[in-house]
Amino acid sequence: MTTLQAPAHEYRDYAELLDDYYARGWTDGLPVVPPTPAAVEQFLAAAELAADTVLGAVPTREVVVTAEHAAINAVMAGCRPEYMPVVVAAVRAHLNEKANCHSVTGTLSGASQAVVINGPARLRLDVNCQAGCFGPGWRANATIGRALRLVVRNVCRAIPNFLDRASYSTPARYSFCFGEDEEGSSPWVPMSVERGVPVGTSAVTVHSVMTMSSALDLGSRTPEGVLDSVAAHIRTRGVATDEWLGIDNTVMLVMGPEHRRFLVEAGWSKDDARAYLFPRLKEGERPVRIGKPDGILIVGAGGPGMSETWVLFPHLAWAITEPVVPEPGGEP
Amino acid sequence: MTLIGLDPTSGPLPEPVQRPAPRAASLEGAVVGVISNGLGESDRILQAVHRELSELGGTTGVVFVRKPSVSVPPDPMDWEKLISQVTVAVAGFGG
Repeated sequence: MTTLQAPAHEYRDYAELLDDYYARGWTDGLPVVPPTPAAVEQFLAAAELAADTVLGAVPTREVVVTAEHAAINAVMAGCRPEYMPVVVAAVRAHLNEKANCHSVTGTLSGASQAVVINGPARLRLDVNCQAGCFGPGWRANATIGRALRLVVRNVCRAIPNFLDRASYSTPARYSFCFGEDEEGSSPWVPMSVERGVPVGTSAVTVHSVMTMSSALDLGSRTPEGVLDSVAAHIRTRGVATDEWLGIDNTVMLVMGPEHRRFLVEAGWSKDDARAYLFPRLKEGERPVRIGKPDGILIVGAGGPGMSETWVLFPHLAWAITEPVVPEPGGEP
Repeated sequence: MTLIGLDPTSGPLPEPVQRPAPRAASLEGAVVGVISNGLGESDRILQAVHRELSELGGTTGVVFVRKPSVSVPPDPMDWEKLISQVTVAVAGFGG
């Protein structure tokens, strides 16, 4: 284990630390947990990482992000130590070149970062995948998403009115993390497995979201009807992309239980849904700029009661999937 | 009993540069770089700027660069071209 490099500050008590961290611009405005050296060492141990392990970089900002940075901010966010491997995977995913950190955290549009968790970590860490999964009430959801955003702010320098130039920003920038309801979506293949992560291995997908909205369809009872509604909804806004991103760009559909049921009961897989959707997104005078069917990511999540699919429209970035190493709580 | 807290940042922020680059006194003999970020109508308006500058006279050349994405810097070869050839640059984007 390497020695911690971050400068240390001494305070009389928690209140003084809190005021000073806020005054220095080191928080998202909410209270933080004190990142003591002991706590940070505990988080690094949970991820089996040396403090100076490089997780990624933002070349345009001359920033290199280390495991120590991630651990300090994860402690501050209120994570438990066992969340740390998930936070590390999220940071690595966000710092992938095609996740385009500089753009998605600086944009006028105020894009947020959705962190989607797959695999056994969801159950071990009590990640909410069902009713209320986009909202408050679950420590893992709230603090893992917040940890990534604190890294974005404190380490990647996306500070409002400095390198973060959002006109409005969004509450989803406090935290946006949920899991795929793999059990409730059976027999669908989990998103992480579709993207190459072995079955039984936990993974994190980070998707930068420029806007999100609900494709509500209370009337359709068939796969075609549901997907026609979803396609029409996507076509209203389109998908941001450009030459640099190429054809591997992504849009994410978070499908609730009712819509899923109509597809599953008719024997439709996620691939079947993509095969139906893709040509319907590409037809007409203004085709949606999605490069290939695989770019339509489908996640089963949410609770019953509203027949809807949420569409998470991307900013200029790919959704990136990273395995969680080590598995929280040991091998599954 | 005191409390130790670690600095969560990647270091001090650089001083923001608030002032624009100095305006060139003249375009006489200048090689002008025109850099489009590709957003909205930027290509169209900067192509027009490119055309006007080319016809203006006095300049010794105009170099047009279009970034591969609104969200990333110019390609390394384009950077090199700008650095090695250009004496005055115009960058712009359009909504």
